[in-house]
Amino acid sequence: MNGDARGWRLALVPDALINPSDRDRAVLPDVLGVLEANGYGVLQLPPPGRHGLLLAVIADQVAEYAHHGYAVVAIGVHGEPGGLHWRRLAPLLRHRGLALPPRHLIRPDVDAASEGQKLAVFLSDYDLPPEEQHRWRV
Amino acid sequence: MTHTESLPGVAQDRPRKVALVANCLMNQNAKVCEGARYRGVVNPVVEALRSRGYQLQQLPCPELAFAGARRWWAVYEQYDTPAYRAHCRRLAQAIAPLIEQHLRRGDDLILIGLDGSPSTGVRFTSSKPEWGGRPNRPEDDWEIVPRRGVWIEELEAELARRGLPPVPATGWALDMGRFDEAGSRRDLEEFLDSRESAAISHGDEPAGQ
Repeated sequence: MNGDARGWRLALVPDALINPSDRDRAVLPDVLGVLEANGYGVLQLPPPGRHGLLLAVIADQVAEYAHHGYAVVAIGVHGEPGGLHWRRLAPLLRHRGLALPPRHLIRPDVDAASEGQKLAVFLSDYDLPPEEQHRWRV
Repeated sequence: MTHTESLPGVAQDRPRKVALVANCLMNQNAKVCEGARYRGVVNPVVEALRSRGYQLQQLPCPELAFAGARRWWAVYEQYDTPAYRAHCRRLAQAIAPLIEQHLRRGDDLILIGLDGSPSTGVRFTSSKPEWGGRPNRPEDDWEIVPRRGVWIEELEAELARRGLPPVPATGWALDMGRFDEAGSRRDLEEFLDSRESAAISHGDEPAGQ
């Protein structure tokens, strides 16, 4: 695409990693900063709670990306499965014919800087197979 | 306090500053082909908001879910259809409960849209009533007109239906033809700083500080 800067990669991200509490900010890496530095777009998930319609809307968007050459990953926090809404989101994605995106879980009990580096490596390494990239990214 | 103080609700903790952000300002993959100016996150917008203590609430992208990742460029009039408006209303109903929760808690909300967009424009949208048929417009011959995009109109209508007050809004001028990042940044910062000044002149402690 002429002059288009998109990175073709995006991440499902829990609200708690985009808007961390003061306490979490001290123990978690700056996930939004790491995503930006690695050229990923963000699909923000809602805070824990019942958000059936919004999760369905998000699943529709993931399906559209996945069917057109975009790489989608999910980032969560170890021990806090509710942030990704995985029990609700996974069936919605499967129902749309999608393989579940690879997940990377951040450990809040480990040094934030090293967790940030691990996240950066995961993001940097992941992409679709070259033949899929060539098919769509023209 | 803010314009939200008369709303009934439960104020459980101190008010926060929350920015409702157009989907593509956190995810440029949502843009129409040739429309992405950044790889993913639009950092100048996110930084301007975070540095002033705003939490971010991303809005859904109405065009991507409706017309797809490989949609044609379009103007306001092409999206101004009953089916697209119904789609936008569904998205508005999906995100409105979160917005309502913030407003009833007394949080200070703002909305950052995408000026020039047929859907997410706030101050300006793109217009060309005669566009349609074969997509053979080699020149940028649309016009920029001062009005909301279709999605923002439907989102604001949904909030009004719920009895919620209007959310102060501006747009990042990404879709205005020639993109001027420095000018867009200046506009956004002026908007954000005017919010701070207004809060201080009313004797309010800015939320979330």
